[in-house]
Amino acid sequence: MSAKAGSLRWRVLLVLALAAIVPTMVVGVLAIMRARNDVEREVRRGALAHIRALGAALDGTLQDSRRTVELAAATWADAPDDVRETQLVMARLRRDVPIVHALSILDPDGTLRYGDPVPPGADVGSHSFGGYVGDAVHTGKTPIVQLVVQARGRTGELMGVFVASLDLAFVRDLLASARLGPGARVVVVDGAGVPVATSDGAPIGTASLAGHDPAVDRALGSSVEGTLSANGWISAYRNLSGYQSLRGVRWAILHQQPEAEAYALARRTTRDTLIIGGVALALALALGGWFATRLTRPLAALAARADAIATGHVDVAAPIEGPGEIGVLGQRIDEMAKRIAERHELQTALARGDRLASVGVMSAQVAHEINNPLTTVLGYAKLLQEDKPEGHPDRAALELIASEAERMKGIIGGLLEYARTPRQSDASIDAPPGKLEAPPVTAPAQIVRHVGALLEPQLKRTRARLVTDVKSETPLAIDAHALQQVLVNLVQNSAQAMTSGGTITISVTPAPGGIATQITVADEGPGIPAKDRARVFDPFFTTKAAGQGTGLGLAVCRHLIATAGGSIEAAEPRSGKGAEFKLVIPNA
Amino acid sequence: MATFAAACGGRDADRPAPIRFLHTFSPDETELVNAMMAERGLAVEGALVPFARGQQVIGEILRAGTECPDLIRIDATWLPGLASYAVPVPPNLRTLDWTPDALALATVPQGVLGVPQTVDGLLVVRDAASPPPASTSIEDLVTAARAARSEDRKHPLGVRVDGYWLVPWLRAEAADLAPDAIAGDGATKALRSFAALFGDVAAPPPPSGAEAPDELRRWSSHDVAYWITGPWQLGALHDPERVAVTAIAGAPRGGQLLVVPACAKQPARGWQLAEELTSIAAETRFAQTFSTIPTRSEALAAAPPLSRAASEALRSAQMLPRWAVTPLLFDDLNPALAAVVAKDATAEEAIEGVRRGWARLTRGTK
Repeated sequence: MSAKAGSLRWRVLLVLALAAIVPTMVVGVLAIMRARNDVEREVRRGALAHIRALGAALDGTLQDSRRTVELAAATWADAPDDVRETQLVMARLRRDVPIVHALSILDPDGTLRYGDPVPPGADVGSHSFGGYVGDAVHTGKTPIVQLVVQARGRTGELMGVFVASLDLAFVRDLLASARLGPGARVVVVDGAGVPVATSDGAPIGTASLAGHDPAVDRALGSSVEGTLSANGWISAYRNLSGYQSLRGVRWAILHQQPEAEAYALARRTTRDTLIIGGVALALALALGGWFATRLTRPLAALAARADAIATGHVDVAAPIEGPGEIGVLGQRIDEMAKRIAERHELQTALARGDRLASVGVMSAQVAHEINNPLTTVLGYAKLLQEDKPEGHPDRAALELIASEAERMKGIIGGLLEYARTPRQSDASIDAPPGKLEAPPVTAPAQIVRHVGALLEPQLKRTRARLVTDVKSETPLAIDAHALQQVLVNLVQNSAQAMTSGGTITISVTPAPGGIATQITVADEGPGIPAKDRARVFDPFFTTKAAGQGTGLGLAVCRHLIATAGGSIEAAEPRSGKGAEFKLVIPNA
Repeated sequence: MATFAAACGGRDADRPAPIRFLHTFSPDETELVNAMMAERGLAVEGALVPFARGQQVIGEILRAGTECPDLIRIDATWLPGLASYAVPVPPNLRTLDWTPDALALATVPQGVLGVPQTVDGLLVVRDAASPPPASTSIEDLVTAARAARSEDRKHPLGVRVDGYWLVPWLRAEAADLAPDAIAGDGATKALRSFAALFGDVAAPPPPSGAEAPDELRRWSSHDVAYWITGPWQLGALHDPERVAVTAIAGAPRGGQLLVVPACAKQPARGWQLAEELTSIAAETRFAQTFSTIPTRSEALAAAPPLSRAASEALRSAQMLPRWAVTPLLFDDLNPALAAVVAKDATAEEAIEGVRRGWARLTRGTK
């Protein structure tokens, strides 16, 4: 394949590669970004939903406890001095609120009346503003909160204060039962940022996370829920004050997970997308390479064929096959090559015809020039012959001179006739319309004997032996001189070809069909190559060295035989060696 | 790389500590404040305290004195009780163009101890299609509400069962929110008149804690034509073009202050944050978003019409008595008022209980 075709293939491959790579990359990047954004959004939504649920459960427990205590306090406030009723109320509370760690009833001045001692620092009375759930107090193993509820009577007057210490172990149990993703944890912190409970068993009640964990700072400072990415963690937070209306609980709950774990699905999706995209791209490139090759191969062949045609090689070659228009283009180029070849042959033939015409004109001029002195020679030869008596030693030579001159005049006449445009003979032209010249009649045996006698001196010089085999005496419809000229040319060619001598055989036999006679001239020379057998009759075609032949002899032979309605060919020698010419001439 | 690391390291070391800010903003206000501070590049570590527990929690923190914030947002009624823990406002802040009403809120006998952040109080939000009361008196307001009653609007007066809402009635009867101001029959009468509204021109009260959403729902559904409320509610209205604001005689006036406690670790940065939150731009943005009443004259002049109308309506209002126990008085007054409204007690019984409770407060007992 030419360098140009190679570059075409690479260009096609490059275009196909770009067509595959660019959209794959664009779509792949968009898909990865979209998938990552979707995963991140869903992770955040999931975490927020989780802490909403946990926060609601946490707050629900606290608010249920507070409502139960409020009802109990309102009931007690109508009979605050009834000890038995008070004990019943307290017993019910301990039973109905399982997270109650300690329970106390104080008078409006803050003095303990019933129940457990109140831890110091509990704010009761007016500052409690109707009651509240206080901040977590980290004492003992689990933190507790103070639930303060004012007990007011029918008229709204403060009759006492219920103080319940609520055990926050249920928060730890709630978080422990939460189903969390890998590496995730849930933390509940109080208003100061101190952990109240964690899902991973981290220490609680010690150092505050405020100022250390940006998510805790954000949670305590915000009134709404949200998410935060910081320090490699993704945190969803919710300030539990949002659950409250007036009696706010200062809490915050956080769901925290390492980003690497949280977005593992996004990474896996990215990895899978890259792998699938890579495989798809590789397949696309392979397919593109195959397609590029398949597409450019016939194009390369077309280019090579066009190059060949341009440089003049219009030989018939295998058809170029290709898909669609390429195949059509290949067929058209083949047809174009044929047209060019035919035109080339036509031009060659025309050129040859021009040359022949020129040669014909020149030959006619030469013949005319030669004819006159030849006529003189013939005349004086006959004149001298007439002056010599029979038996004179010069008579034979004079007879030969005359006959050879006659023969030369015949050759010149044949050449002139070959050079002339095909038309009827002069006699037939001069003949009145409707009256044609009578066809010639020649006895083949006679001509064969005459040729032998004529060429005997030449054959001796070339050490060639002429053998004749005449098996047919049927007259032939050919001019005697023409047949003699043909046989002389063929025998002379054979003698010249056999440089070491040999046998030349002339056979005359009836042709199949009985309407023609076949004359064969065979020799023992080097023979005619098969590829030249059809061309030996072309004018100016010769295998002889320059100056040793004009290439017109066999052309004249074919012309003379064709004029008689016969045929001549260079046949495959029956003996397997040498050259053999086969003439078929119609019988008279 | 070393230069970059050094620069980064140096930057971390030089970065100031965030300003610790304890506040009582609503959820929406909190988000706006966070956004504004982020825009200003101020690092603020905010902590939200529910308003109902604000005085208690803040009092505990200040009394403990160990983890004090740099700035606190308090109700103006809390200032007398926290005055001993607050530092005076620096002169550069004190001399700004505060409105007289706002500056009065921040002023106690010890001096100007707070930067006023917003002014509020009770006023009447009226449906613009309803005629204004003949005067600002309670009687005319109730008369107008009765005139607005119809088959579809049976309780056209919006009022809350809360001692703060009782103040105009108390003052109409020559009483007030003070221990010595309910000794006479005026308070009883005021309580009786107030309680009589419910079931008449005012709807029965919703469960405790659901007052705000219930009022907003009834206003939005046009069940209320005259709504006694405060500027804090105006931001939630979605149809400001329907709103007209008028005064009510004897209305209390209050507001929110920004105070730097004496135990603050970064008092200068606390004042810096206070200045940012009360800048013309910040107050204007608050007014545009929540229809609050600015405390800066320039911001008030540029405030939306609703904010300016509210400010005008509160011009005749009076601050509550500036006693340390004032905010604690509601603890006994609100339940008593609820008992009378619920007809669980007579006004006389309820007031008697209030007197006993207030006496306990004033004699220093918790």
